[in-house]
Amino acid sequence: MSELAIRRGAAPALEVRGLDYSYPRAPRQALVDVSLEIAPGEFVLLAGRSASGKSTLLKAACGLVPHFHGGEIEGEVRVAELDALAAGPGELAVAVGYLAQDPETQVVSTTVAAEIELPLEMRGDAPADRARAVEEVALALAIPHLLDRAVDTLSGGELQRVALAAALVTRPRLILLDEPTSQLDPVAGDELIWLLRRLNEEWGVAVLLAEHRLERCLAAADRVVAMEEGAVGFDGAPAEFLAWSHENDAALSTPAARLFSLAGLTPLPVGVRDARQTLRGTGIGHPPHIASRRVPDPRSSEPVLRAKNLWVELDRGEELRDVLRGIDLAVRPGERVALMGRNGAGKSTLLRTAAGLHEAVTGRLDVGSIALLTQNPGDYLVRERVGDELPGDEGLAALRVVGLEHAVDADPRDLSGGERQRLALAIALAGRMEGELLPAVVGLDEPTRGMDRARKDDLVALIRGLAGDVAFVDKEATKATRAAAVVVATHDVEFASAFAERVVLLGEGVVIADGPMEEILSGGWYFATEVARVLDLPGVVTPEQGAAALRGELG
Amino acid sequence: MRSPFAYKPRRGPLQDASPGAAVAYLGAIVVVAFLYLNPLVLLAAGTAASLAGILAGARGAVRAALRMGLSLALLVAFVNALVTSRGETVIARLGDWPLFGRVDVTLEAIVAGVSYGLLAAATIVACAVYSACVDPDRVLRALRPFAGRSALTATLVSRLVPVAAADAARLRDASALRGPAAAPVGKAPLARRLLAGSLDRAVDVAATLELRGYSLGAPRARNRRSRSRYDRRFYAAAAAVLLTAIAGKLLGADDFQAYPTVAIGFGPATLAVATVVTLSGLAPLRRPMKRRALHAEVARV
Repeated sequence: MSELAIRRGAAPALEVRGLDYSYPRAPRQALVDVSLEIAPGEFVLLAGRSASGKSTLLKAACGLVPHFHGGEIEGEVRVAELDALAAGPGELAVAVGYLAQDPETQVVSTTVAAEIELPLEMRGDAPADRARAVEEVALALAIPHLLDRAVDTLSGGELQRVALAAALVTRPRLILLDEPTSQLDPVAGDELIWLLRRLNEEWGVAVLLAEHRLERCLAAADRVVAMEEGAVGFDGAPAEFLAWSHENDAALSTPAARLFSLAGLTPLPVGVRDARQTLRGTGIGHPPHIASRRVPDPRSSEPVLRAKNLWVELDRGEELRDVLRGIDLAVRPGERVALMGRNGAGKSTLLRTAAGLHEAVTGRLDVGSIALLTQNPGDYLVRERVGDELPGDEGLAALRVVGLEHAVDADPRDLSGGERQRLALAIALAGRMEGELLPAVVGLDEPTRGMDRARKDDLVALIRGLAGDVAFVDKEATKATRAAAVVVATHDVEFASAFAERVVLLGEGVVIADGPMEEILSGGWYFATEVARVLDLPGVVTPEQGAAALRGELG
Repeated sequence: MRSPFAYKPRRGPLQDASPGAAVAYLGAIVVVAFLYLNPLVLLAAGTAASLAGILAGARGAVRAALRMGLSLALLVAFVNALVTSRGETVIARLGDWPLFGRVDVTLEAIVAGVSYGLLAAATIVACAVYSACVDPDRVLRALRPFAGRSALTATLVSRLVPVAAADAARLRDASALRGPAAAPVGKAPLARRLLAGSLDRAVDVAATLELRGYSLGAPRARNRRSRSRYDRRFYAAAAAVLLTAIAGKLLGADDFQAYPTVAIGFGPATLAVATVVTLSGLAPLRRPMKRRALHAEVARV
């Protein structure tokens, strides 16, 4: 079939019938009797917990499964009438674009222009056609200024856009995206979702988007497909999905839906606008003003991390750049601090400087003992037995702090993602504790990438336990540990609202806001929780607070 | 931080040359290193590769490759001195060692080790200059019509250099952040982890290439920069180096023996080969501005 015929055809963009799939040597099926159809120009959100089969379904739709990964497959997958099980990913590339989670592995050229041009060149397009297509897709994605840049000088967000441009440049009928916003700050994440919606509406591209942060994209979707242990658990409209998740899997619910559910309001809203309209309709569009709940000022204790006019300069590929520019900050024992800001604002650099990986060019940084967990916990795991990573009593003490003492003989590769993260943290802690006492500061850099809500809740409990929140520490541990200051660099606003009591917002290497979590995360648009955006009440950021506000219990 | 071996777009004859010409030129230097064991010629090959890199603006790559290559050369010389007892000039008698047995360090074993080490060092420098100066995108496009799988491998390698460098930097950071009571990270587990990570990344990069239609048997697209005015220069340099090396080999320029006593030939043929090979390192030299300006002026008049 010619490309033109494929484009004009009214055939489904994706048609999956009775698909079963197992990865080679996998103990269980990754996909179980999956059937679904995506119409041309439809925007479908693929929801589900970690390891529920979302990524595998996307890979089956672009031909990587089974052509690239192997394994056993049965059923039928058709992309724009092409048989995906017979055609390879290269042949399907004319009809489908795919964007995986990690943008670093999705670039194969050295410059942005060459990367975007590559699929057209592989197809044999003439140079003039290629030049025009590259220009147009660059304009659509607002990246013409990047065309001459080397790919290894781009930020994660820029790289993600370039990979998306390369996936879109052939004008596919279907675009598949696997958690494209997981490495993006809230601003870039929102921009990407609305850009997809615009491309979907203006170019008629069907979109199948797998995401964990549903609140970010539910309002943009026409339909939601929820995966449960490899099978389709739900397939329907976003509003119906919220009702289904409320009944079946609360971890897939959005904060606004939880707010409405707690407040006893219906229907559950698919987005901020929807929620506001419902609130206006029920006559509670203007809940009473609630004063910000301020956390007690812990100035009685000495700071365990103090930065004074801290400047840090780093080599960013092409030139030296001041990444931190005169940071003043003091963090005290037991504080739970969220470091937030856009990509490149200096969050990771601040943590890494505190841990001694970078040096300040000027200013002062005093920090007690610090254990830092970087963005990839797997980097800490180099042996094949947990006990070999953490030998001796001190190792066991560190394992006890993260609740992994039972796994001494396990192979780190057999642990779940959350357990591996805990193990990596124990490796960073080991020997930095005085007996059973925690180090003064525990730093976590973007710990929630690719995590579903259930795993985030576990992490929140761990953080609160480390910071000495007695409700989250078992009694034995409470006796044994002292409160550490926990500083977490994160893009995830909802996660920050769950664990933090203080938020430090960085912008271009400068502290632009520093205050109680409820105040900072309710006072803006991008760095605000969904509940804060719905209610627009100072100090109200979580569904529980919002429901209480709606019931008039606060204030 | 960016790897010194990563390709960086710069203006210069070596960067502007087509991949074929650049590979022929740097390949000729490597071929000489493999053809000869005479330390003088090997030194000339290493010098030529270093000179080419410096003139092409890849000082960082040359510096890093020299550090790596010379360390390797020293290691090879050291190990060879310990494991080889051949040679008549005994410098030190170290007695009986477990595993090694009787260890006599001879001058000949050291010189032979240095020779092998120089071969490795010259090859590393030439590869580093290739990696830093030859655009992998152009290599990818140039190779695809002839050898799709080779081009795929070349692309994987070219992408894996910066990706593996980034992985290595991350692993180094993680090992520095381990608590003092955690088991120290030895070089072997770290290397194993880096290798496993690199292979995972290679699979992902290969998947991306598949998705870009790389395996399609599409007609070769016309390349906008398939040839360069510098191509002839590099092909000529490669031909001169290879012909001289072969002729020199036939004329006995590789007059070197390590055992039983060291004999290094410094005859006219050897000196001629070494000189030609060293001078070939000047091929990436730009023409001086003055002369170019003069030519332009003459042309204008």
